[in-house]
Amino acid sequence: MATTERRWIGKDIPRLAGRATYTDDVKLPGMLHTAVLRSPHPHARIARIDTSRARALPGVFAVATGEDAKEMTNPLPAFCAEPVVQYCLAVDKVRFVGEAVAAVAAVDRYTAEDAVALIDVEYEPLPVITDPFEAMKPGAIKLHDPLPSNLAFEKTLSFGDVAADFAGADRVIRRKLRWHRASAQPLETAGAVCRYDPITQKMDVWSNTNMINYVGWLIANTIKVPAAKLNIYPMYVGGSFGSKHVLGKIIGIASMLAKRSGRPVKFMEDRVDNLIASENLACDRFYDAELAVAKDGVFKSIRVKVVDDYGAYFQFGHGTHGNALAQVTGPYRMGSFEYTVQCVLTNKCQQGVFRGAGSDAGNFCLERLVDAAAQELGIDRVEIRRRNFIAPDRFPFKTPCGNVYDSGNYPAVLDRALEMSGFAELKRMQAEARAQGRYVGIGLATAHQRSVYGPTEFWFWYDSPGLTTAPESVGLSLGPTGEFVVTMFSPFWGNSPETVVAQTVGEEFGIDPSQVTVTYEDSQHALPGAGPGGSRMTVMLTGAVAGAARKLKDKLSRIAAHQFEAAPEDIVFADGGAMVKGSPDKSMSYGDLGLKAYWYKLDLPPGMESGLEARHTYDHPYLTKPSADRKDLGAFYPMMAHGAHVPVVEVEPATGRVRFLRYVAVHDVGTIVNPKSLRGQITGGITQGIGMALYEQSAYDADGQPLTASFMDYLLPTAQEVPRFEIGHVETPSPFTEYGVKGGGEGGRMIAPAAIASAVEDALAPFGVRVDEVPLTPERIVKLVEAARR
Amino acid sequence: MKPPRFDYLAPRTLDEALAHLHHHGDQAKILAGGQSLIPMLNFRLAHPGVVVDVNRLTDLAYVRQHDGGVAVGALTRQHAVERSELVRARVPVVAEACRFIGHAPIRHRGTFGGNLAHADPASELPAVMVALEAEMAVASRAGSRAIPAGQFFIGPLTTALQPGEMLTEIRIPAAPPRSGGAFVEMARRAGDFALVGVAALVTLDEAGQCARARIALCGVGPTPVRARAAEDALVGQAPTTAVLDEAADRAAAATSPPSDVHGSAEFRRKLARHFARQALAAAIQRSGGR
Amino acid sequence: MPTTIPIGLNVNGIRHELNVEPRWLLVDVIREQIGLTGTHIGCEHGVCGTCTVLVNGETARSCLMLAATADGAEITTVEGLSTGETLHPLQAAFREAQGLQCGFCTPGMLMVAHELLRENRSPSEQEIRESISANLCRCTGYQGIVDAVGLAASSQASAPAAR
Repeated sequence: MATTERRWIGKDIPRLAGRATYTDDVKLPGMLHTAVLRSPHPHARIARIDTSRARALPGVFAVATGEDAKEMTNPLPAFCAEPVVQYCLAVDKVRFVGEAVAAVAAVDRYTAEDAVALIDVEYEPLPVITDPFEAMKPGAIKLHDPLPSNLAFEKTLSFGDVAADFAGADRVIRRKLRWHRASAQPLETAGAVCRYDPITQKMDVWSNTNMINYVGWLIANTIKVPAAKLNIYPMYVGGSFGSKHVLGKIIGIASMLAKRSGRPVKFMEDRVDNLIASENLACDRFYDAELAVAKDGVFKSIRVKVVDDYGAYFQFGHGTHGNALAQVTGPYRMGSFEYTVQCVLTNKCQQGVFRGAGSDAGNFCLERLVDAAAQELGIDRVEIRRRNFIAPDRFPFKTPCGNVYDSGNYPAVLDRALEMSGFAELKRMQAEARAQGRYVGIGLATAHQRSVYGPTEFWFWYDSPGLTTAPESVGLSLGPTGEFVVTMFSPFWGNSPETVVAQTVGEEFGIDPSQVTVTYEDSQHALPGAGPGGSRMTVMLTGAVAGAARKLKDKLSRIAAHQFEAAPEDIVFADGGAMVKGSPDKSMSYGDLGLKAYWYKLDLPPGMESGLEARHTYDHPYLTKPSADRKDLGAFYPMMAHGAHVPVVEVEPATGRVRFLRYVAVHDVGTIVNPKSLRGQITGGITQGIGMALYEQSAYDADGQPLTASFMDYLLPTAQEVPRFEIGHVETPSPFTEYGVKGGGEGGRMIAPAAIASAVEDALAPFGVRVDEVPLTPERIVKLVEAARR
Repeated sequence: MKPPRFDYLAPRTLDEALAHLHHHGDQAKILAGGQSLIPMLNFRLAHPGVVVDVNRLTDLAYVRQHDGGVAVGALTRQHAVERSELVRARVPVVAEACRFIGHAPIRHRGTFGGNLAHADPASELPAVMVALEAEMAVASRAGSRAIPAGQFFIGPLTTALQPGEMLTEIRIPAAPPRSGGAFVEMARRAGDFALVGVAALVTLDEAGQCARARIALCGVGPTPVRARAAEDALVGQAPTTAVLDEAADRAAAATSPPSDVHGSAEFRRKLARHFARQALAAAIQRSGGR
Repeated sequence: MPTTIPIGLNVNGIRHELNVEPRWLLVDVIREQIGLTGTHIGCEHGVCGTCTVLVNGETARSCLMLAATADGAEITTVEGLSTGETLHPLQAAFREAQGLQCGFCTPGMLMVAHELLRENRSPSEQEIRESISANLCRCTGYQGIVDAVGLAASSQASAPAAR
């Protein structure tokens, strides 16, 4: 696809500036504050709750328990078919340490916490299950009585002739891999302010939740408010990375207390709440995976078996395995694959999604196998990748399961990464370092970063279909003074959606993006939109704006054409207005057009309404249903971005310390809208990937007690743990999106852990260490070296 | 995460403070920099009946010469100790250790005395005071007494301070000529609590042999660990590789480290050996030895 | 009624006379009683730094200070860095160099950067990283922040009269 001359798309536009109102900044008259009593037991029956002392404390206005939740709310929405019931407050049983048992609304948070300390709960502890392999066994204590066992779901999906490909392989590379549970931990915790009017039954919600115009009606059902009376305001969000999707528990608790107290109620999680009871922890996986290879290094097939420890509830289902299907075979030509998943429930906080949403772990699995294949076959790991890449002339490419890769040039991305890193020079430097007794490692990962999720991923694993819509909408207006206003309906996560829409309007209409005003609208006035997540917003917003722009331009052309007695097709938009192509004297500024449209009805074409406003709902641009026999899942994540990372590390075998000497990352996310903004997403994503690779684990002991319940134990990287990143770009535009854009928000975290594992293994190659687990804490590294030495 | 209720007193003089402490006994908790106490209050791990805020006792913030060494007032902010010319000249290992305490904003408020009185087993300063054989000056309404650092730290978060007593000054002797000191530490991230920290101070004689050695470790026991057997391995010996290795082995053997999510006891012991070796080598180099 | 004590805080040059419960944290008094919401709450145990303000000119974590202890102190919050419509040079640099994404850590980062540049007119990359490592950011990976502080330092160097 030829590169077009673009004025604003692709430029480094500084983000729009201003003051943000975050959820905790919301103050309403009479507003109360919430504190939550959480279970100290991982598994127990709730025998008795006595809230009388709490209710009697001056300053307390409402107290709620699970009994109230059963009466005042419905179970939380779940993206799964299994009968795993969950209320916003524990009903009858608690199933993980930190599960909410009671909630108090009081004049301030201090008083609310005082009241929580006065609630007496009698628990009858039950046996605790923390090991998913134990939990799976028949006869293990069940977390949920309606389920046959704690193995909430298991299935194998197979595409192509896996058996034949494995039988015909010269060698089968096998690895068992461990990807530990992590947590998004944005600096702003999750929260909501709820205000209820009992006469109109209207519930106003200010919350950093997401998907408000997607699952808003499900939330309404949860809090027992008519869907048309639920109004959610999209907020500035202090980071989410997936952890703030839905937030049914938080909105459930705040709404109950609002109804009960008759006053607005704010519930902001504190940091401990977020660490031990987040609605969205990340995947916790045991992989047993095999790669069938020919002796010349060509990959034939891959078989992935994964046990995923979901924690106590199944709220977000196995979508993180659905989306993994989009890129199980990565950038490599393979004719078949098999994927077996076992979703197990244990007495831990539940999984949801965290940036990468399962494909981060999937990339780790695949790239470890690729490195292992290179090693076992004695083939250079750069060469083995080249040999297996899907060639640039093979796109759109259909994968064995039916997903399509829209475009790509994997050799070019790899070449750029090797060039930027000075790969040959790095190897020389490494040899010198080794001679000095230093352990320097060069990592490599060439991996996919699927973007713009298709909702079919939520229900692939079932035989019956589910939702197929994942849209995004904007409103676009041109006022009587010629000023453009874009209205958005989804929250701001920090990924600069305002800058994206302003640049797109600038591009479409030939104006400076800084002239564009951006507003937000609440959910009662909104159009459909799934909001940020799954690396979709840049594609979906550019699509929505382009769609709205087309509608607006259609009207503007007819106004201008009528003015100049020209044909609407001859009107072009540039330089702050509209003009007849080839006749610059026949032009109208946007101010002229605006005034005309709002004030001069009799100058408009007959039958035309006054005003200049367009709204557009942009649906996923390329989504198809699975075939009836499910042998072809259709296109569900076709905007396939890709990246190559080359981290260079030094490892200290005696202490397990890892430091970065360099980090090169080349990403191909199609047409880049805002390079600066994309670079920020990449450096931020890689930093989270460094966290996953070396520092972060939501750990539990064998008795189900959380071990990382503060920021002193759950470790986010600081500026001293991460290097300066060298970021490169390749652009293979998507044929399916406006401007050829793909999503790039998750890629850093999806690729870095695999690359860093590769680097550490390479550093410790003199010992013969195999890295098959993340995070690589200092102790784990020291143990790997010692084991290899024996 | 908000503190529970407590009664609050903000004395303006030391006498006033001591009177409050005497009156309220074990119900009273001293609030100085707050960098250790306030997180505990926010987590509701501490429920003091009375908080005695000593931040008005600015007379207790100073760094002075004392007998060739330095005397540090208990309320001196860690940042001021780290930047003090006197400390850097006379007991540089103290300034070196201060740089590992959290980050600058924490050191702006955290006090030298408060850190010592809090006695976190992973804290740097207690180990440094033990290695330097500092003396803790303690006051109460009844009078004052001096407690050697080696007897001050009794258990995790427990010192020899009795109810009614307050740390007022820390007296740190200077090292003899031909001495070198070093503090090294490993933490998971910059500014975190030490997994293991080692303070080493060695003095050489004219022949280049080790005349005196002091080694103390943090993070590897309920209190700072004074590795006397390791010191014995050095004294009277030339600081050869073999001697330093032996000393480091003995230092590790003296530890009884905790196990937690950041490292098992066994791992910490290995780190203790590694960093004791490193600290000793650095101390010897700084003493003018090889 | 819980006991309150009278305190005086000078915040961004304005004196506030308040009655506070002794246990109220400085960050809560700044956000609630005084109404300045630019200072944020991220962890309440002194690790994340989103609550960072200047107390008598030095950076401090306002979640680890009782408002009562701050009686009589001069507090500067992020709102005190700029006046009216003009951005402080640091804020302009953060915008230019993509030093923020979600913006939640930004006020704390600005206070730390402000102090650094006051003490060190041309910090190296390592010195900038050491200084800002007191504060967590989950969005940027720190590179944009480091670049922003460097940009502010160099524009400070070329500008005659800095703030």
